[in-house]
Amino acid sequence: MNDKKQLLSAEQVDFLTEVMNIGAGNAATALTQVLQCQVDLVIPRVFIIADAKELSTLNNPSLPVVCARMGMVGDVSGGLFFIVPEEQKKDLIRLAEQAMTGTSQLWRAGLTSQESDDLKLSVIAEIGNIVTGVYLTAVHDFCRLNIFHTVPTVATDMVQALLDESLVRLSRQVQHIIVIENEFVVEEKLIRTFLMMIPSVESVNILVNSIGQARMAMAQDGG
Amino acid sequence: MQNKIEVMMGGGAVTTAPHIISSLGLGSCVVVTLYDPKWKIGGLAHIMLPDSNSLNGYHPPYKCADTAIATLIKELRSMRANPRDMVAKLVGGAKMFLSSEDSSPGIGEQNIMSVKHILSREQIPLVGKSTGGNYGRSVEFYLDSGKLIVKAIGQEVKEI
Repeated sequence: MNDKKQLLSAEQVDFLTEVMNIGAGNAATALTQVLQCQVDLVIPRVFIIADAKELSTLNNPSLPVVCARMGMVGDVSGGLFFIVPEEQKKDLIRLAEQAMTGTSQLWRAGLTSQESDDLKLSVIAEIGNIVTGVYLTAVHDFCRLNIFHTVPTVATDMVQALLDESLVRLSRQVQHIIVIENEFVVEEKLIRTFLMMIPSVESVNILVNSIGQARMAMAQDGG
Repeated sequence: MQNKIEVMMGGGAVTTAPHIISSLGLGSCVVVTLYDPKWKIGGLAHIMLPDSNSLNGYHPPYKCADTAIATLIKELRSMRANPRDMVAKLVGGAKMFLSSEDSSPGIGEQNIMSVKHILSREQIPLVGKSTGGNYGRSVEFYLDSGKLIVKAIGQEVKEI
């Protein structure tokens, strides 16, 4: 018996992609301010993983990544993960360190340029915090959902190892994961990041219905 | 020719020497291997949950510890392996993120306890393990020797 169901229709995925596009544009603006240099965004890709096994979207369950894990609370509950492949971590941190001076946001967040590894991971957490906030604002504005994220905890390890406990806790049966792949271009470097949204089993219907309704409303407005 | 079978999260496989079964990216999940050293037949399950009673309806056979081990035993028996000769090894069950609000045993620890309990009930000895901690692991199971190679980022490769 195949209990894999399409979480969202193709049109709904398109709509969600447009919402995330706007989120991504705002994220680029926010990151430009945070990193104090021009951040451009390659159009984000949104895809839905309907089965935890398909997590090999990231192609390699043992891929080393830095992961900022946040809780999702409000109209939709669950988990949020901001993921940066390990090989990109150095670029991102170097850019962030350049920006940790004066009155920059990172400096105000209490981060200063130091050698400590923990602090470097805090940089990723803070960037994840900012990017996630921007996306959830877009979701609020377009889908009328109040979703908040909790303070990130960050770890570096194999990507699947970092996700598996949350996958199991949030839904013991079918897994629906929304993945937003963002590529940012900063100083000619391409930095690939992922934001994964895992709604809890209780919240999945709320999320789907809100997206469906918002999409219908937009279609009716001729938008 | 030696084949490498890759087992994904919630999956399992059985095979014979000279092949290899591998599974990557274990966090709270556990890998259990069963091996008959006489016939060099064995199987690997990548288990996500300690107990299938928490699930309704259909679920993949290797996803939960109880059904996974039962399935492995059944499959190996059908290949003429002898349960009395079988030995088991266990890898994984880490707690990847420390959470102050969450003092209950994590899924990792529950998976470890569940597997140990079931193996003991089946009277299959646990002869090797690499479990717990706060880091991810990948496993390769060599059917010619029964050996497991366990890798973790930033650590020496371990052989159990």
